[in-house]
Amino acid sequence: MMEKMIFGRYVPADSVIHKMDSRSKLIIIFLFVCIIFLANNAVTYALIGIYTFFMLGMSRIPVRFLYGGLKPVLWLVLFTLVLQLFFTKEGALLVSWGPIKIYEEGLRMGIFISLRFFFLILMTSLLTLTTTPIEITDGLETLLNPLKKVKFPVHEMALMMSISLRFIPTLMQETDKIMKAQIARGVEFASGPFKERIKAVIPLLIPLFVSSFKRAEELAIAMEARGYRGGEGRTKYRQLSWHLADSLQLVLLAMLTILLFLLRS
Amino acid sequence: MDISLQHIDYRYQANTPFERLAIEDVSIDIPSGTYMAIIGHTGSGKSTVLQHLNALLQPSKGIVKIGDREIKAQQKNKNLKHVRQKVGIVFQFPEHQLFEETVERDIIFGPLNFGVSEPVAKQRARQALKQVGLAEEILEKSPFDLSGGQMRRVAIAGVLAMEPDVIVLDEPTAGLDPRGRKEIMDMFYTLHKERNLSTILVTHSMEDAARYADQIVIMQQGKVVNQGTPEEIFSSPVELVKMGLDVPEVVRFQLKLEEKTGMKLGKIHLSIEELSAAVTEALSRGVRS
Repeated sequence: MMEKMIFGRYVPADSVIHKMDSRSKLIIIFLFVCIIFLANNAVTYALIGIYTFFMLGMSRIPVRFLYGGLKPVLWLVLFTLVLQLFFTKEGALLVSWGPIKIYEEGLRMGIFISLRFFFLILMTSLLTLTTTPIEITDGLETLLNPLKKVKFPVHEMALMMSISLRFIPTLMQETDKIMKAQIARGVEFASGPFKERIKAVIPLLIPLFVSSFKRAEELAIAMEARGYRGGEGRTKYRQLSWHLADSLQLVLLAMLTILLFLLRS
Repeated sequence: MDISLQHIDYRYQANTPFERLAIEDVSIDIPSGTYMAIIGHTGSGKSTVLQHLNALLQPSKGIVKIGDREIKAQQKNKNLKHVRQKVGIVFQFPEHQLFEETVERDIIFGPLNFGVSEPVAKQRARQALKQVGLAEEILEKSPFDLSGGQMRRVAIAGVLAMEPDVIVLDEPTAGLDPRGRKEIMDMFYTLHKERNLSTILVTHSMEDAARYADQIVIMQQGKVVNQGTPEEIFSSPVELVKMGLDVPEVVRFQLKLEEKTGMKLGKIHLSIEELSAAVTEALSRGVRS
């Protein structure tokens, strides 16, 4: 039932992107999210598109899998498009069909904003698809390390993040299991009137909450039993290593940024 | 109600990099009234097979027949409620499915979903509670205040109250103490006999399979590798051991005994009583001759 979900899921493969340092990937994603707002005409959006698909190609994630997993999100993208189409009333009138009026500016904005949305989703999924949760948190922890000076709990944040990422698949399995148990007891999650379907969520959510609390308690006890006492003086088994490829990727992104600045109108 | 699986395959996460063939060309016939045990290691596909028995999973290939309903691959299957009422599943650790405020409300949840009226459902709840060996006092308690063993029994009562014709059990006694195990297994056996149910038991325990089942299916790596009566299955223990599976203690004892003393006991005996009777008989014959 939840088999197609790809968020937070790691797909192992032997690709350039997989081998990159998680710090460089995080920096790239962060900068990408910023520079995508530089695009404001067809050429610059095309550039961003080419870059996104280039990265996707290098990651060797099967396109069919990506498509299957992102399908639900595509609806959201489409929704954004429709929203912009109908509610922007600037520029020349293109279509007038009864109460529906589509303006030039609306079409332009709609296409651009949904494209931006789409590329953002692709790039951020690429991060989680090619980087293990542990790598992401390790990278984030090192990157945020300077914040320790201002008493920001970097280690705790990183730990919290890695625990939540780690338990996504576990929770999904659990959800699937409980759903099946309740379907066997006559609950219908997928059909029936809307009101009934909302009600059907209760027999799913309560057991999930109960088991999550139990799991949290067990995990805390297990950590204490193994002598966990915060990040103080903790060393790392996995060392991050920055390679030439990471620097090259940053250079590539820098070049993209320069191009965007030059070509935007 | 007869159930029959005909050459079914099941693929998890088809069309993704995680695709995995969980079961392959599995054919099992479960005529009405059979007590069938499905045995295999973790990951042998037994739980996947089990989920086909009330259409929780749709086969990737092949046909599942449940009563007069046919479930085929690549076909939309709607209105499965009837099937699900007739086939009750007790999942592994069924206590995880409890959610209501009181034990009573949780037990009648299934029956109400299948359109049973509330008074009748409450009636059934009382009966089911008695069957699983719990006192009526707990009906008004919250299921989350009970002990683990009691929660398990309440969850089982929730399935029994649906009054299914077929009961599917996925390691129903995992994590229970030996006495609780025996009580629960005996309870299912009595129910099986009294109501003339079909029972399908998925288990690791050879002892349980030998004691209760009339038919045993052995699965390995997603395939059915052996199928037959307990006598047939356990008469070739070498094969079982080769598959990394155990032979019941009684059978092991008989084989050792035959090997050490040269005594011949004819067929394989599956209970201590039967075996001791056979040994006594063989010994008295031996003395006479």
